[in-house]
Amino acid sequence: MIDRRMGIFLAGLFVLAVVVPVGNLALAGQPVPTYLVALIGKYLCYALLAVALDLVWGYCGILSLGHGAFFALGGYAMGMYLMREIGDRGVYANPSVPDFMVFIGWKELPWYWWGFDHFALAAAMVVIAPGLLAFVFGWFAFRSRVTGVYLSIITQAMTYALMLAFFRNDMGFGGNNGLTDFKDILGFDLAQPATKVGLMVLSALALAGGLVLARWVTGSRLGKVLVCVRDAESRTRFLGYRVEHYKLFIFTLSAMMAGVAGALYVPQVGIINPSEFSPANSIEIVIWVALGGRGTLVGAALGAIVVAAAKTVLTGALPEAWLYALGALFILVTLVLPTGVVGALEDTLSRLRGTPPRKEAKA
Amino acid sequence: MTSLLRALALLLALGCAGAAAAQDFAGLIAALPGGSYADRAKVVKDLGLTGDPRALVVLRALEADDLKVLADGTPVIVNDKTGAAVAAVDGSDRGTPAADSLDRVKVNNAVRRALRSAIGMLTLRDPDPARRLAAARDALKAADPDQIEALDAALAAETDAGVAATLAEARAAAVLKSPDAAGPDQLAAIATLAARGDDAARAALTPVAASAKPDLAKAAQAALARIDEAQRFWGLAQNLWYGLSLGSVLMLAAVGLAITFGVMGVINMAHGELVMLGAYTTFVVQQVIRAEAPGLFGWSLVIAAPLAFVVAGAVGVVIERGIVRHLYGRPLETLLATWGVSLMLQQAVRSAFGPDNRDVGNPGWMSGAFHLGQMQITWNRLWILVFAFAVFAVLLMVLKRTPIGLQMRAVTQNRAMAANMGIRTGRVDALTFGLGSGIAGLAGVALSQIDNVSPNLGQNYIVDSFMVVVFGGAGNIWGTMAGAFTLGIANKFLEPFAGAVLGKILILVGIILFIQKRPRGLFAVKGRAVEA
Amino acid sequence: MNVTRRNLLGGIAAIGAAPLLAPLRGWAAEDTIKVGILHSLSGTMAISETTLKDVMLMLIAEQNAKGGVLGKKLEAVVVDPASNWPLFAEKARELISQDKVAAVFGCWTSVSRKSVLPVFKELNSILFYPVQYEGQESERNVFYTGAAPNQQAIPAVDYLMSADGGGVKRWVLEGTDYVYPRTTNKILEAYLKSKGVADEDIMINYTPFGFSDWQTEVSKIKAFGAAGKKTAVVSTINGDANVPFYKELGNQGIKAEDIPVVAFSVGEEELAGLDTKPLVGHLAAWNYFESIKTPENAAFIEAWHKFTGNPKRVTNDPMEAHYIGFNMWVKAVEKAGTTDADKVIDALPGIEAPNLTGGMSKMLPNHHITKPVYIGEIQEDGQFDVVWKTPDLVPGEPWSPYLPESKDLVSDWVTLKCGNYDKVKQVCLGANG
Repeated sequence: MIDRRMGIFLAGLFVLAVVVPVGNLALAGQPVPTYLVALIGKYLCYALLAVALDLVWGYCGILSLGHGAFFALGGYAMGMYLMREIGDRGVYANPSVPDFMVFIGWKELPWYWWGFDHFALAAAMVVIAPGLLAFVFGWFAFRSRVTGVYLSIITQAMTYALMLAFFRNDMGFGGNNGLTDFKDILGFDLAQPATKVGLMVLSALALAGGLVLARWVTGSRLGKVLVCVRDAESRTRFLGYRVEHYKLFIFTLSAMMAGVAGALYVPQVGIINPSEFSPANSIEIVIWVALGGRGTLVGAALGAIVVAAAKTVLTGALPEAWLYALGALFILVTLVLPTGVVGALEDTLSRLRGTPPRKEAKA
Repeated sequence: MTSLLRALALLLALGCAGAAAAQDFAGLIAALPGGSYADRAKVVKDLGLTGDPRALVVLRALEADDLKVLADGTPVIVNDKTGAAVAAVDGSDRGTPAADSLDRVKVNNAVRRALRSAIGMLTLRDPDPARRLAAARDALKAADPDQIEALDAALAAETDAGVAATLAEARAAAVLKSPDAAGPDQLAAIATLAARGDDAARAALTPVAASAKPDLAKAAQAALARIDEAQRFWGLAQNLWYGLSLGSVLMLAAVGLAITFGVMGVINMAHGELVMLGAYTTFVVQQVIRAEAPGLFGWSLVIAAPLAFVVAGAVGVVIERGIVRHLYGRPLETLLATWGVSLMLQQAVRSAFGPDNRDVGNPGWMSGAFHLGQMQITWNRLWILVFAFAVFAVLLMVLKRTPIGLQMRAVTQNRAMAANMGIRTGRVDALTFGLGSGIAGLAGVALSQIDNVSPNLGQNYIVDSFMVVVFGGAGNIWGTMAGAFTLGIANKFLEPFAGAVLGKILILVGIILFIQKRPRGLFAVKGRAVEA
Repeated sequence: MNVTRRNLLGGIAAIGAAPLLAPLRGWAAEDTIKVGILHSLSGTMAISETTLKDVMLMLIAEQNAKGGVLGKKLEAVVVDPASNWPLFAEKARELISQDKVAAVFGCWTSVSRKSVLPVFKELNSILFYPVQYEGQESERNVFYTGAAPNQQAIPAVDYLMSADGGGVKRWVLEGTDYVYPRTTNKILEAYLKSKGVADEDIMINYTPFGFSDWQTEVSKIKAFGAAGKKTAVVSTINGDANVPFYKELGNQGIKAEDIPVVAFSVGEEELAGLDTKPLVGHLAAWNYFESIKTPENAAFIEAWHKFTGNPKRVTNDPMEAHYIGFNMWVKAVEKAGTTDADKVIDALPGIEAPNLTGGMSKMLPNHHITKPVYIGEIQEDGQFDVVWKTPDLVPGEPWSPYLPESKDLVSDWVTLKCGNYDKVKQVCLGANG
């Protein structure tokens, strides 16, 4: 089930999950600075998000321009738990209401915040909230056979509407400031390097788990049907498959994965804010996947890591001109590497070995 | 008989006032520079009530920031251009004092308000009816009981019916404010204002509705209710107009996209940046005009429009030839590449023009507003609506009536067949993309009149534009028009009830639900081409 | 400029090795004191923040020309957080732990400040924040050189209520829907009511970010103003939405004499994108205007024009805040004899530095500064004409006495060592305790 490219990637991930903690915590001189740990953790969350999108786009042809919404919802669920975990250590020392609510004059916790002081419930909501949204949205959209760009644009409308909604202070999610100033998670101090390392390792595990799960789903009989749907939806339907059920399943599963990525992301970057819902963010996810190679899973993860790392380096190194570099990167990759980085890499390798290049299906 | 008596009384009053004013005028002018703004406003008002034509010169100078004070405390009027000063009291020559030896007599809003009303008082008898009308309007806004006498006098002498009506309304407003006006006079005033029925009338009537005199209060409440009733209708019309205006903006922004995205199937994420280029072209044209030929400023938009079309169109052709043509058949990859283009264009503009807003001025014919009944229509919105329809009509003509339009439609319907018929599809692709881009540039010219001209301009419209095209049905420019106006009007009717934020959310949810009902948009393309 | 060294390492070639290269930048410079500049150079906030980056580069260059600090040259480290809030946190961490900057000057929006706060606390560094904000915060690691609500909003309303300001009785509070307008409007609402303004004479309205179609909102203001009472608009509309708002005001013929608009986020820079003729008389409340005539200001403007090579570049209030903040930091470092964060934080309260309007601003124990408040009216040339100012400098007060949840709180980092001390319960609240 695990092919060669995934094997290599998982091995790399394993090395990372061992080397970074050891380098940061155990070795003298700290060859891996704490700063880098949080950064790697963030990249890994992005990678998981990209894998989630690749699952629906690469294998089922659903181009979602709203996957940022699922990511952000998962993030908000985690953020709400972290907010409650602050307790009476906020600036107003109000044990029952978070600071930002005191700030806007709310005296009591609104009902949808109930129970978020329990980690178990928050953890459940991390997958339930995005899953439910994806299920309801998909139920309507796939049943009405909304496809192609129409589907893409309404997913964009969805994330845009959510962004506007979460910007509203009356929603009770902190408005533009979002949720921030977290103190600890399950009693572990978020400022401690050990906690950061722990979260990073957790992110690596989640990414590995996500990859294996995605591989397993796409390799199964169900996965074959999904590829059929991607390549010839009408034909699949005429063969007697309930296309909308397959789509709904994979869309919901992908949204849940995105939610997990968001939940791991929030404690590592320390803030969740409505700008995560912005349409531009969701388009960026698509770009990661396209850059790495659509329908390759590992490629999606790599694409996310490469773009995010490029952003980190370029915003520091070329603060005035990094957009040129990033823009040029996108154009070049599309023109020169139509199958993405991973696709190009493997084609080159197989050509060197003299075997004919593998054919990747396109929609 | 009564008018004769009134005229007599007026003569008497003027005589007395004249005598008093002769002494006062110099005193008032001397008092002008001192004291607080509130004191200065009082002096300005008194100057207006003198009726002295010399006061008008001084007040106009004060309004134009030309009234200065010499080191010895004499108020003088300084000529902007020559720097020559004359005494404010008698116009005697005071030479050309050094600019830094002069103190300004500053005005603020309170003084400016008093100035407007005082200048109004002094121009009530101006030979030009337009000036008299403006003066009467200012008096209506001021609603000052001290002005009743002067208004009465002006009313008696007024020959123009329109000006007289406004004067009567101004007098009515002043009477309502006056503590010692007679009851019947005030009731008559309420009736006069109720007939006017606009915001100015409402402003004058509202305080009376809470008056201690029951009959007055009742009459005012009844009048207000009548005004409200009438304004409800106009409110609807006004909302419809706002909706049409928003719709025209959306259509302009989206119609170029309807060509590149709807007709060619290219997801052009750089569309917003092409709009931005159009806006910056307008800016550059205006800069050149300001520097080289200020007289042409009124024509700046007319000059900018074709240039914006050419600039944005040319950039569009370059994008098509350089990038998009390698990606036909891979629509989603055009998204990736054009996103890269959009980032680079944004940064290029930021490097060239700076990150902050650029000032694009409204020519005279694009400024201000006019009234249609109780409805106010701003000129810039009206012209943008006209422009949007003009662009749409020309686009239709090009697509339906020209050879190139025929070729464009042929290539989009069946590329291979069109090529076999001898159409150079590559050239047609470039021209189609250039056309869509050029129209984006035209949209930029219009948007520069109502929105920021900054590197972020395009980003603000791209999402909305895609919504419009998809809502209307990709591939049909009539659908884009219908979509734009539906969304614009719906938005403007929701906004008063739901507020701007919630209104927009509701519109988005509405689009999502609508697409469930009609998965191919408002004007769906039917037939076998759909599945392709 | 000293920034370019970092550029050498840039380039697409570095992308693959990105995370590994990042830490290497630490050894780039030996004998300099590094100063971090954390302002967005791209994205939606670039429009406001790029200028602040430029002014910091100018101040640092000037200081170096005077011989630097503690005998060392200053080196600016510029990064671009790209108007992206999580990226702000990441870049702050990079500046502090990788580049080892001595202090950071940066942020504009409240959310960017909230985003970097935990980083500054965790790594114990110093942030100078130069923008007016909603208050309700006082942190040990942050020095707020912009205006607190009592240094901007309340004086502006006082002026409009006075005889000179026109005796306003009816108020529209118009803002963008986020925390700064919400809080400011809440403080103002409580304040207006304490002054006897009735409920029906206050209208509060919110619009989304980047709102551009103001037709309905402006006509609503017009209708609200037609009630026979003097009406004014208090605008906390943010950045991009202002230009279309003012254009619509001008076109619908709302004159400042009839309904004045007083804004807290509109300065010389925003007006540069506007034709101001129809807007003459509308107001803004700030602690600095470019038009204020003092020798310090004239010198600053001249230096600015020379530095940018553009004689038309305007100056504005947050730039002055950075000017004051930077000079305070230099003095504090010299007083402490080190750039060590703890020592500089302890040295800063009590430090005085000249502001550009002829006074001496002082860093207070609550990490806010004393500032004069000016009300200016927009002129035809895009500048402001000061019509009113406070007689003395006003000390910044983070906790508003008009809000029930903050009326008992005080901040004092010198004697109480606490940013949110409850006067009544006599305890330091929350995590700071």
